[in-house]
Amino acid sequence: MRIPLALAFGIFAIGLVLSAFLSDYNLRLLNLSVIAAVAVIGLNFAFGYAGLISLSHAAFVGMGAYGVAILTTKFGWLPWLAVPVAIGITVVFSALIGFPLLRLRGHYLALATLGLNVAFYIVATNWIELTGGTNGIARIPELSFLGYPLADERSFLWFGLGVLGVLAAGASLIHRSRYGRAMMAVRDDEIASEMTGINTTVVKIAAFALAAGCAAVAGCLFAFHVRFVAPEDFNYAHSITYLAMLIVGGEGSIVGAILGAIVLTFLPEWLRFLGTAYLAFFGLLMLGILIFLPTGIVGLGRFLPWRRPKRPAAILGVRSTEVSS
Amino acid sequence: MTILQARGITKRYGGLLALSDINLKVEAGQFVAVIGPNGAGKSTLLNVLTGLVFPDSGEVQIEGKSITRAATHARIRAGLGRTFQHGRIFTRLSVLENVMTGAAIRRDLSEAQLRERSMAILESMGLAAEAEMAIGSLSYGQRRMVELCRALACEPRVLLLDEPAAGLNSGEVDQLVDRLTALRAAQQLAIVLIEHNMGMVMRLAERILVLNFGEGIAEGTPAEIQSDPAVLAAYLGEGYTHVGV
Repeated sequence: MRIPLALAFGIFAIGLVLSAFLSDYNLRLLNLSVIAAVAVIGLNFAFGYAGLISLSHAAFVGMGAYGVAILTTKFGWLPWLAVPVAIGITVVFSALIGFPLLRLRGHYLALATLGLNVAFYIVATNWIELTGGTNGIARIPELSFLGYPLADERSFLWFGLGVLGVLAAGASLIHRSRYGRAMMAVRDDEIASEMTGINTTVVKIAAFALAAGCAAVAGCLFAFHVRFVAPEDFNYAHSITYLAMLIVGGEGSIVGAILGAIVLTFLPEWLRFLGTAYLAFFGLLMLGILIFLPTGIVGLGRFLPWRRPKRPAAILGVRSTEVSS
Repeated sequence: MTILQARGITKRYGGLLALSDINLKVEAGQFVAVIGPNGAGKSTLLNVLTGLVFPDSGEVQIEGKSITRAATHARIRAGLGRTFQHGRIFTRLSVLENVMTGAAIRRDLSEAQLRERSMAILESMGLAAEAEMAIGSLSYGQRRMVELCRALACEPRVLLLDEPAAGLNSGEVDQLVDRLTALRAAQQLAIVLIEHNMGMVMRLAERILVLNFGEGIAEGTPAEIQSDPAVLAAYLGEGYTHVGV
């Protein structure tokens, strides 16, 4: 219990300190990183733990965002009523579509999920009565928390950090539980997992739905932050970005998911002077990370003085330090 | 009491008859060996028993209940356990976590209880010192023992072992034989063993089923099998005499 709580507290504390002196522009970027981090923590369940290559993550973010946008603007629901419904619909949809989809593996699954994201984009663009088409949905109401309106970047960041902290702690708890181990076992070897009494179909659907649930939370945050949603924000390119964030940060690691989201949100802004050459730089960066740092940024953690490998002597009650969280 | 029974199992892959009308019956606590040349259908039989492959005809029962079409995980929960010929372990998990994954078949156990039970299994199999180690740092023999520990953690009543001695040195084979003997005595565990190490088979098995080209050519006690002319011709070789491990 100690590590998840420390993780949540650490995230909140660092964000709080940063929020004190950052400019509005950087606060906005930080907000976008926090939202992306929430989505990537979700993707970590599907890809990092269960090994499901999902390229439909942006579609699930979009379902959450469009869910609250439609419910609050078209039906006049209160924001806090729309949020659980939008998340619930996304989770149920992902589990239903996951049932046939997750029979596929590897590249086939990647292509099928990519197709799902493209389908979402087409629906969002063309179902004009419901989604507003390419014009999107504007005038999404402001979210308030405990009577306090989250109107400016700073207050929204505090709220976003709270959500991220809670989700990171929850994800860390799952990571250390039998459910987390089952997901990692399924990724390592499906047949051996079945032979260990694990229902691999259920585990994969659960990981996929959990990922979609986190994506929907990120979508809700996005909708209430930008207060405008349009199909462009949820096309398949964003799914690839989420995957890149996870790989850059370190798949299978919660800290890695957060670091990756921050780095890949700020990097394009810092390198704006490169213009379109940024894409070439980005490609090289990805290649470099895959070759030299296959475990992502968190892989650098093993050089920290307090992370030297443990001696083989078994200590009952102490967990392996192999996978960081 | 019959724990595991397979009746009239037939499995065809295109023109190849992998298993033809195979019958196998395992009583509680019994040690049965399945032997035969490579390609005889031994691993296919285990695949049919564990549900990785469905038979074209025939029936598989655990304690009288038909599981012919049941999913693998359901069979494991019903009391079956298996290890693989080349060993399949979860390389991203530590030794202890591998075993805990098996122990988690008991949904009523807390995380601390899972850990305690798994440590006890590792201790009984001589792997306690390696509990916190990564799989990558283990020897081949140790990895196969981890797989066995994980299968045991699922609390099986029948354990299916696919060539557990392959790749082990003679000292490790002796250890394995001792531990399997101890396990049977302690837990009334039935074991179905596929093995080419005849010393091990003859020392442990109470009954032996011999397969050749997918057909059961003989079944009986080790003494009967050693003098069966069909078995000598197909597998053991003329003039075979048992010399121990």
